[in-house]
Amino acid sequence: MMLGNEFTSARLRRGEMTLGEKLWQVSWSLVLVIMVVAAIGLGMLYSAANGSWDPWASRQATRFAVGIALMLTVALTDIRFWMRYAYVFYGIMLVLLVAVEIKGTIGMGAQRWIDLGIFQLQPSELMKLALVLALARYFHGADLEDVRRLSFLVPPIFLVLVPFGLVLRQPDLGTALMLAAGSGAIAWLVGVRLWIFALLLGGGLAAIPVAWQFLHGYQKNRVLTFLNPERDPLGAGYHILQSKIALGSGGMFGKGFMAGTQAHLNFLPEKQTDFIFTMMAEEFGMVGGLVLLSLYVILVIYGFAITFRCRHQFGRLVAMGVTMTFFLYVFINIAMVMGLIPVVGVPLPLISYGGTAMLTLLLGFGLLLCVFVHRDIQMGRRGSYDD
Amino acid sequence: MMGLFQSRRNRFVYPGAEIRSSTGGSPARLDGENHRIVEMGRTRLMVAACLFGLAFTVIGGRLVELMALGEPGEPPVATLADEPLETRMARADIVDRDGLVLATNLPTVHLYADTRAIPEKDRLRAIGLLPTLFPELTTEELNNKLVPGKAFVNLRYNLTPIEQQAVNDLGIPGLNFERAERRVYPAGRLVAHVVGATDVDGNGIAGLEKAFDARLTGEDIPLRLSLDLRVQHVAHRALSDSIDHFKAVGGTALVMDVNTAEVLALVSLPDYEPEKIGSTGEDARFNQATLGVFEMGSTFKLFNSALGLENGMQLTDSFDARHPIQIGGFTIHDFHAKGTWLTLPEILQYSSNIGSARLATTVGTEKQRAFLERLGLLDPVPFELPEVGRPLVPNPWREINTMTIAYGHGLAVTPLQTITAVSALVNGGLLRPPTLLRRAPRDIPPGKQVISAENSGKMRALMRLVVESGSGRNADVKGYYVGGKTGSADKLSKVGGYSNTAVRTSFIAVFPMTDPKYVVLVMLDDPKAVPGTSNLRTAGWNATPTAGRIVAEIAPILGVAPQEEDPTVAFDAQVIQQVGLRSLEPLEGPALATR
Repeated sequence: MMLGNEFTSARLRRGEMTLGEKLWQVSWSLVLVIMVVAAIGLGMLYSAANGSWDPWASRQATRFAVGIALMLTVALTDIRFWMRYAYVFYGIMLVLLVAVEIKGTIGMGAQRWIDLGIFQLQPSELMKLALVLALARYFHGADLEDVRRLSFLVPPIFLVLVPFGLVLRQPDLGTALMLAAGSGAIAWLVGVRLWIFALLLGGGLAAIPVAWQFLHGYQKNRVLTFLNPERDPLGAGYHILQSKIALGSGGMFGKGFMAGTQAHLNFLPEKQTDFIFTMMAEEFGMVGGLVLLSLYVILVIYGFAITFRCRHQFGRLVAMGVTMTFFLYVFINIAMVMGLIPVVGVPLPLISYGGTAMLTLLLGFGLLLCVFVHRDIQMGRRGSYDD
Repeated sequence: MMGLFQSRRNRFVYPGAEIRSSTGGSPARLDGENHRIVEMGRTRLMVAACLFGLAFTVIGGRLVELMALGEPGEPPVATLADEPLETRMARADIVDRDGLVLATNLPTVHLYADTRAIPEKDRLRAIGLLPTLFPELTTEELNNKLVPGKAFVNLRYNLTPIEQQAVNDLGIPGLNFERAERRVYPAGRLVAHVVGATDVDGNGIAGLEKAFDARLTGEDIPLRLSLDLRVQHVAHRALSDSIDHFKAVGGTALVMDVNTAEVLALVSLPDYEPEKIGSTGEDARFNQATLGVFEMGSTFKLFNSALGLENGMQLTDSFDARHPIQIGGFTIHDFHAKGTWLTLPEILQYSSNIGSARLATTVGTEKQRAFLERLGLLDPVPFELPEVGRPLVPNPWREINTMTIAYGHGLAVTPLQTITAVSALVNGGLLRPPTLLRRAPRDIPPGKQVISAENSGKMRALMRLVVESGSGRNADVKGYYVGGKTGSADKLSKVGGYSNTAVRTSFIAVFPMTDPKYVVLVMLDDPKAVPGTSNLRTAGWNATPTAGRIVAEIAPILGVAPQEEDPTVAFDAQVIQQVGLRSLEPLEGPALATR
């Protein structure tokens, strides 16, 4: 045992780990933080139902249990498996997205769900992970010269644009922007040149006046309401005004568990889903809100650390993509309920009631753990060991 | 193997330590060719981390701002209940041109139940007793509606004060009244298609109530229409009598001031009770005068004659009407075939399809189309009612269309635009947009010159000729020098093509022809031959006498005095001679407007 670190051994670089070894390598502290956040979420759902496990908390707990099992399964799967089948997953998700377009279920004015018999799946959520995997695979073997060639960037742009367009059509602006931003994070990490980012960002901003014409009435309303919530206090501005009132009434330490008046008297809309952060902040105050925020920051730091520690490009990109997606969930949701950005339907990760988002997040953390477990594996350009 | 176990023990870590960058020895080694990209990647990773940190700082700061510092100022509160009921619900009246009320409001109450406040035994009593007061509420329905725990169960709209008292006398808590206003239409179905109706919440859903919804709720000044309720009544009664007599399925009647284009009467039958529009069938809600588009038949020969005159033809020009025209497997016949050449006045007098078609082809397709467009017959007419039909215009416009349109087939227009265009033909040639709102003299639009004043005069003489010695004789009213034109068009069959059995007949009457003041249009949908019509159902036997009756009854109301029927006061001798009008016939006895 002359090697200072067992992970530099050739055997481990080849990734020949037993299941036991892999289990030992899982970052259990990260799993612990995830569980703490999810426990807070269950508590909030219990409170949202006025002190009852039904209808939300019990179902969410089941989903979480299933999700944790899936997460560990993903974490222990050889990362080269994920690399090999990255395009296949992407393809499946694309097919599902098209299926939603054709015969999806329409809920709350948008066509986003597909009925799989046992549950309703929202393919656009899982697409976030599939896209990260596909892009990571594409850029895995690329060197800096490749990335600086414009023609090299054409296929990934299509990889992003197709699901982006499909999701935008549903219409689901929030998810579409998350897809774009997650891909942007990966592009950033592989070293796409700055002027391309500047160009895309500038182009996006310039397209706003044009895109405005194509926005749905409700979307325009949300933006106008964001700019001035008092415009229509009983209509489009209702959500955000009530949210701010609830936050303001929470004060420093909150009103206490299950004692948030704004939420429990049903002034606060969607309190079990998109606006659950508001309810939590009302009941536990600014301190509670900051604690939860800190937990999220810790999770993001884990994501960065794992990205940093990984030796292969594929893992690094997957970790960054997952972290970016998670960060966007947190940022968009919290900024939205506090009136920093217009209302977009993005759930609060691990806390909001909802199955597909929970599944996506836990699978995402599974991938993150998988990257960590397999951080030292040598991977060739095509993902095999002996390339 | 031992070593592995040892190192595992060494690597027992406190939470988080496993992800630190150096857990022993060197940081992750950089693999050969990926060296540069990894270095660059790490720099970029740090930049991204800083951005994330910034974002978290922003939302954390916002959280502190919202929760600890508080929002300055009170949040705005929506105010709805502050306004008194009267100002919230007031909807302006609608009145006719003389100020007679056509639509107004009455205070009323709606009955609703707050079942949370009804004790159980009273609830059963209410289910038992309410049907005795309001027979349309059944016990079964009440059983379903009056379930405990509901704050608002709507039971009945618009209670009279007596009914309200009766409910109060039941002494059941939880049966409450909601103060409201109810739209009432004193003229009822007489003005249904003009005024329209409101829904139970007082929003306009048809007619002027819909078109002027914002104006009626925004201002308190009554909306004054051009309609004359007396004229409307005459038209309504004459039309419904005719429909009964000729067993027609429906019809429409319009009266318009030729000089201002104000509509004085607009009737479309069947019609409906505005207060019961909800339970009215589609046929009754259909406004045939403005929304229906029809092939007008021979009345279009008026436009055809004007087309000829405007394009330089003389009253003495004649056209070959000896033989039916064969075109494209289709034959144009005359109803009263003369088998000779016909002059322009004779074409109208005998209502010759062949002569009309010849005239139109002589002028040409493009000029015909441009002329009809100028008369506003090819586009939807601008009008206040929301129910305005779009003309059906042939495309492409071939020679055969030119021929059929000459006698009113192959182009479908609304009766409203027909009467508007005829007004322009006789008033000196000025086309004005029709209106249902009263026009003050200074508000009368100047109008668009669509034919010359001279040709307008000739058209007046020609229309008089039709009534004096053509198919319009049954519309003549002594002393009012009526002019006009009949029209009979085969209805479109439900199975395609034209029907052999059903017609739509119409008559347009203008009076007095010497100085036109008013124009009347009557159209009957599928009138039948009845005793006294020589077994015929053409316009001359049904629509024409109906129009004559309307003229006879409205002329005195509108202050048109009967005069000696003397064409020489209006037309020069050459026109009278060329058209063939009869000269002065002295009135017999006192000037009575009788037929």
